[in-house]
Amino acid sequence: MMNDSLSQQIACRDHLRVVEPHSSDSRALISLRGVSRFYDGGTITALKNVDLEIEAGDCVAIVGASGSGKSSLVNMLCGIDLPSAGIVLWEGRPQLTRQDWTNLRRLSIGIVFQEFNLIPTLTALENVELALFGRGLSARRRRSRAATVLEDVGLQHRTNNVVTKLSGGERQRVAIARAIVNEPKLLIGDEPTGNLDSNNAAKVAHLMFRLCAEQRMTLVLVTHDEKLAVRCPRRVRIRDGRIVEDASKAVPSPPIQWQAAE
Amino acid sequence: MNLVGLALRNLRRRPIRTCLSILGVGLAVGSALALIALSRSIKDSTQEGMNEMGDDLVVMQKGASDIFGGFIPEQMVARIAAIPGVVRASGELFMFAPSAGDRSVLTEGWPDTSYLWKKVPLREGRVPSPGERHVAVLGEAAAASLGKKLGDELELLGETFRVIGIANYTTIVNRGIVLVPLIDLQEASYRTRQVTMIHVNVDRSGGPAKLSRVRTSIEALGNLTASTTNEVLNNDRNFAILEAVSLAVSIIAIAIGALNVLTALVMATQERTREIGIFGAIGWSSPRIITSIVIEGVLMCAIGCILGALLSFAVALVFPNIPGIGDLISFKPHVAVIAPILVAALALCIVGSLLPAWRAVRLVPADALRRI
Repeated sequence: MMNDSLSQQIACRDHLRVVEPHSSDSRALISLRGVSRFYDGGTITALKNVDLEIEAGDCVAIVGASGSGKSSLVNMLCGIDLPSAGIVLWEGRPQLTRQDWTNLRRLSIGIVFQEFNLIPTLTALENVELALFGRGLSARRRRSRAATVLEDVGLQHRTNNVVTKLSGGERQRVAIARAIVNEPKLLIGDEPTGNLDSNNAAKVAHLMFRLCAEQRMTLVLVTHDEKLAVRCPRRVRIRDGRIVEDASKAVPSPPIQWQAAE
Repeated sequence: MNLVGLALRNLRRRPIRTCLSILGVGLAVGSALALIALSRSIKDSTQEGMNEMGDDLVVMQKGASDIFGGFIPEQMVARIAAIPGVVRASGELFMFAPSAGDRSVLTEGWPDTSYLWKKVPLREGRVPSPGERHVAVLGEAAAASLGKKLGDELELLGETFRVIGIANYTTIVNRGIVLVPLIDLQEASYRTRQVTMIHVNVDRSGGPAKLSRVRTSIEALGNLTASTTNEVLNNDRNFAILEAVSLAVSIIAIAIGALNVLTALVMATQERTREIGIFGAIGWSSPRIITSIVIEGVLMCAIGCILGALLSFAVALVFPNIPGIGDLISFKPHVAVIAPILVAALALCIVGSLLPAWRAVRLVPADALRRI
């Protein structure tokens, strides 16, 4: 729950409206309740008692300075790290174990990292195919599905190239393809344009917004790039491990219009 | 692409390390196969040699530690020959006898009237005549290795023997043997009126029941054990020790091979911690990640095992040409030896691969992704 000073701070911004915290019985896609993350035996606090709810279809930018805790927050949202305190709920169900999160990431959450995180010895197609393991698909269906998604991101001519031979922009598109190949409900981009030049950054950002709109995916975008953040209808600002602002645009745009905004 | 394809890619990424690990496993498996096959081959060769003599029973001193170690009074031969069902019996003194140039040769002494002389497959020359002393019949391999031909003199236990015959036995042990009159060997070795074993032929018309009755009757004479040629080496302590040592060295060799695989995998997984974090981040379960790493270990081990088996066959081909060894024992790797060693090596590698695999999945993906 936000405190009064925070509500006032948010209310001061005339172009933003205060977002009331979601009630505990809402059916948010993902909810953080009192989540804290400590490192080094508690000497370093990355997140402090964070409450956050993200509804299905939201397009959320998480912004903040370097070291503010936004990566820790996004790690909690996709379960690649576990909270030291508090709980994370997916569609109202608490996700307690690593196995719970593994299942979610395999089926419902796609992640795009700043540093691409592709397997360097594999081709674009094989990197995308990796995300389809454990879904009971035959190798042929995996290949076919991966090829289709690579085509969606405009890399049909690069499918059999080893990813180290691709440009930064192309690699990030492979990473996006890998993230969406399972048609996740939630797509998380952790500084997805951070390692790209402005031209490629714009293309990648456009691609993510377009795909989310087309596939009705919830998008959480971690960025320190205000220009990118401003394209998201909802922005969550984090500072020193606390959410200091959680705001939506006065006239929120439905996800399908994000593409037009580009 | 599947998990095996992925594992192969990873192995190809570090070709030198992968090749060295495979070579380590191959040498370990090859050594283990060679050692165990060798010890078995020594036993088998001795067994075949005994079978070639055509015995139904071999009588030894009860509790004798090995085929050289028991001594029986020579007069026991006549008592055994008198047992109903025994067709014939012959004493034999059996030992490694020192020859010229610090060489020892496998030497058997038979009574000059023994039926065994009649069964010697002579290539040339003759067997000793009754009462003839200080003469020897050499197996072909023994003649070749000692450089002796008919009419040459041979020194055994400080005595001089004249070569009067060359025998072409088929088994490796008998091909390397020197046959002399029993009395000469007894005197030269200070074993007067003693034999190490008694060869017995039984009337076969009575079948196994008669053989069993004869065995019982022989053992009733006291302090004797009668065994078939297939059983006689089972209680031989020398062979038991040889097999135990071979097995122990083989286990150490295979463990070292598995350690090679383990080291390679530990290093590989440490280098690839970030990649393993990626697998976790895209929803690979811990068992799947573990499986992919274990497959790498198993692939290295399997290739190493094939290499080791091929090495052992190569050694088997070269073995007969090794001077001083090849004419004494044969070396034949076969499935009964290869299969258990390969299974043991693979099992060790799987267990060894589980450690780095477990280490790899211990980290949460976020921690793994932070690694350089």
